[in-house]
Amino acid sequence: MPTTKLGFIVQRAGYKSENPKLALTHAIASQSVEVYLNDGDIVTADIAFIGDGVLNCKKDQKAMDIYKLTSTETHIKMSLLLDLNVMVCKEDLDRFGMTENDIVLDAEEFGAELTVKVVPFAEITKMMEGMNHLLFF
Amino acid sequence: MKLAVFVSDYRLTVDTLDRLNPEKLGIILVQNGVYHATTKENGKPSSLLNKSASYYALIDDLETRGLGNADVADNVKVISYSDIVDLIFNEYDKTAWL
Repeated sequence: MPTTKLGFIVQRAGYKSENPKLALTHAIASQSVEVYLNDGDIVTADIAFIGDGVLNCKKDQKAMDIYKLTSTETHIKMSLLLDLNVMVCKEDLDRFGMTENDIVLDAEEFGAELTVKVVPFAEITKMMEGMNHLLFF
Repeated sequence: MKLAVFVSDYRLTVDTLDRLNPEKLGIILVQNGVYHATTKENGKPSSLLNKSASYYALIDDLETRGLGNADVADNVKVISYSDIVDLIFNEYDKTAWL
């Protein structure tokens, strides 16, 4: 049962370009590729927000109210709903003066069991080492 | 010249803004430019806010990013799209987009 591990690293702030949200879109889409896989093969996706990318995790985004856009916050929640591992770099949150209170941490309203993990960059590095493919956004 | 400059990125890769020296400068923070008004990296406000200029930040782009009036630096005025139209027509001769 081969497992292909994908690591999506988001390093840019959102909305100015579609780029950071595309990382989440691709990670979510990676969970619907069974049709292309052999029986028993699995694709996993881990997502890490680093650098300016942590700004994507700010909660209470009103993109739908204002621009009729699905918010990046909702994309993060959908990722949790699909049991994707979502990590946020603690050092970069600290750099921006942000705490766990400022970011989206769960998707309880959708029934997701996983939560966003705020971790040191060393842990994100460790995650990256374990991936088959890394995709930077 | 009375110049209004739209800043739409958080990381500026050009130093044009430093070179400009109009008699009146307005900096209108839109899109990811609004992070200049709200973000304090290592406790320090954006250096963009140190210029001799009038600063504005678009409320729509703040709220889209989960930010609001309370997050904005004291020297930045939060404005709407219609306020931007008023600024362009009434306060400044020219506009530029960086």
